Amino acid sequence: MSKASVRVRAIAKKELVEFVRDWRTILAILIIPLLMFPLLFILFPLLLASEAAELDALVVDVVVQGDEIPEDLGLILNNSTLNIMYEPLPELESLSSPEGDQDRLRNGSVDLVVRLQMNETILQYAVLYLSTSEQSLEARSRTFEVLSAWEDNETIQRIEAAGLDPDQTLDPLQWEGDTSQSDVATQGEQAGMALSLFIPLVLSVWTFSSAIQPSIDMTAGERERGTLEALLGLPCTRMELLFGKWLAVATITGAGVLLQVAGLLFAIGYLATSDIISAPSVSPAALLLLCLAVLLFAIMVVAFELALAMRSHSVKEAGSILGPAVLIILFPALFTQVINLDGIEAFWFAIPVVNVLLALRELLMNRIVYGHVAIWLISSTVYALGAAYYAARQFNREDIVTSLS
Amino acid sequence: MGPTLLSVRSASKRFGDVIALETIDLDIHEGEIIGLVGSNGAGKTTLLRLLSGVYRPTTGNVVLADGTQVEHARNRLGVVPENTGLYARLTAWENIRYHARIHGISDEEAWRRTMYFARHLDMADVLGRHTKGFSRGMRQKTALLRALVHAPSVLLLDEPTAGLDVTSARTVRELVRQLGEEGGTVIYSTHQLAEAQRVCNRIVIIHNGQVRADGTPQELLEQTQTHHLEEAYVALTTDVARPRQEDDKPLSKWSSWWRGLFTPKTPKEVGEDE
Repeated sequence: MSKASVRVRAIAKKELVEFVRDWRTILAILIIPLLMFPLLFILFPLLLASEAAELDALVVDVVVQGDEIPEDLGLILNNSTLNIMYEPLPELESLSSPEGDQDRLRNGSVDLVVRLQMNETILQYAVLYLSTSEQSLEARSRTFEVLSAWEDNETIQRIEAAGLDPDQTLDPLQWEGDTSQSDVATQGEQAGMALSLFIPLVLSVWTFSSAIQPSIDMTAGERERGTLEALLGLPCTRMELLFGKWLAVATITGAGVLLQVAGLLFAIGYLATSDIISAPSVSPAALLLLCLAVLLFAIMVVAFELALAMRSHSVKEAGSILGPAVLIILFPALFTQVINLDGIEAFWFAIPVVNVLLALRELLMNRIVYGHVAIWLISSTVYALGAAYYAARQFNREDIVTSLS
Repeated sequence: MGPTLLSVRSASKRFGDVIALETIDLDIHEGEIIGLVGSNGAGKTTLLRLLSGVYRPTTGNVVLADGTQVEHARNRLGVVPENTGLYARLTAWENIRYHARIHGISDEEAWRRTMYFARHLDMADVLGRHTKGFSRGMRQKTALLRALVHAPSVLLLDEPTAGLDVTSARTVRELVRQLGEEGGTVIYSTHQLAEAQRVCNRIVIIHNGQVRADGTPQELLEQTQTHHLEEAYVALTTDVARPRQEDDKPLSKWSSWWRGLFTPKTPKEVGEDE
């Protein structure tokens, strides 16, 4: 083993030992990402179920205004979960006009007003509600269910009265067989498609954000604590120093990202109820390219963050620069989700950040388009080298030794 | 006088418009304990950083006896910076071992050397403790052990007794003297003339980036025709000492304007407006 590699290893090892000894950082960068998705998948359905139960238990007060309410509709209304109060229909220009009922809807003394008026064979109606009230919205939802049930029943009766078959009349176009057999994409391909919509987002955003704290700690932090000067007096080059620190940050970030993806896959595999999301079918070549894309992205991101942090005069300054810099990743990551991969123009694969995100999407769908691969591979390598060169320049600055402590 | 180990040849250092060190020539010989004496901002730390290869001189060079530029021979130097530079989450031994590994010293050899000096400094029992709770004295001693772990030819100490209690300062001084007796070479920056007189056999007085005097204490007294080193120092540094500038990069126009928006005027400036 060369002397340079021994020094690089010593630097990286020391940084990792220091990192591991801070339980708060371990919690923030390793434990939270691991548990985030499983907890989300467990807690979110529980929260939804609890909210739904709460809504079901609500007592909603509904005023029904009308002079000629069909008897069967009255029966359905009375048997529903609505608390019904009947009133005569007031004189109105239009049933939808809220005049007269506006105040009591707004002050919550009633949750909803239904107006009904028989016009020959058509039952005209309007529903007045308050969209900013959960109670009123729940009343609206239940009322529409009742009205809809009556309408379906009435439609069938009228069709039968005309001597027609309701099924043939209402549903002249019918699917034959099992709909799930109609998609020729395999389950693995479908899973790849679904995962390609959020794995690149998770990978990119987490890679960037989890590298921030260690990058700052190992550069501006060292500078502020006064440990950098002693380090610069040692027989290691600035490039060895940069590489050692890069290796440590990349290891921490890589571990964080892997744990987060593992947590996500566990949540999908064992906690999600959907059949669509399962293990994606990705060929070994696509998997290899996927790892390469993530590696190039990590080289670029970590080098860029180390450079920006080293440029900063203090931990505070580095934090105020790198915190908002997450948007540099977040915007392209969100933007990339809506780009259609079928017939996509090649230039997209040359745009920084976007290129890797698109590459990840394609590869997760097991698509290896050689032209695209060549473009993102070359452009990502150029960007990674550019970021490494920029970081090297920052590490070679003479004023990095000056301590603010 | 022993053979020359390190030479500063017409070296100067500028930071933008600020001249931190004017042209300096200095030869450091084996077995010397040199005291760099000067006020804050005189240029002592800048000179030490030039000697340790952390700074590159703007003009001239700093070379070893064989002509090697000092930045390529850092393994022959041991450096203790002013603020010790210890990692709080590592133990004293881990701090020392980290530097030893970068110097290419095996852990066994590093431990053997560390224990030899640790006994002198009464540090043998605390090597396994994290440095976070260390006193200033313990930190300074740990930094000294770390700087000595690879048996350097020249030891560079930046204000090693600053902020230490009497006992710790005395222990550090005794170690430096012992190193000198064993033939070691030490360059020792301080703004305490009395301390330099007690420890060093050669004193270099630096003032406003210039070497004002260089010689044994007796030579300095003869040069200035004074009876005490303090009088000699005053005679050599009659001009007003400049403020410490090296770390204070000038603000950009934009930063200066922005900061000015939120800086209240002094009563004197308000009076001038009226």
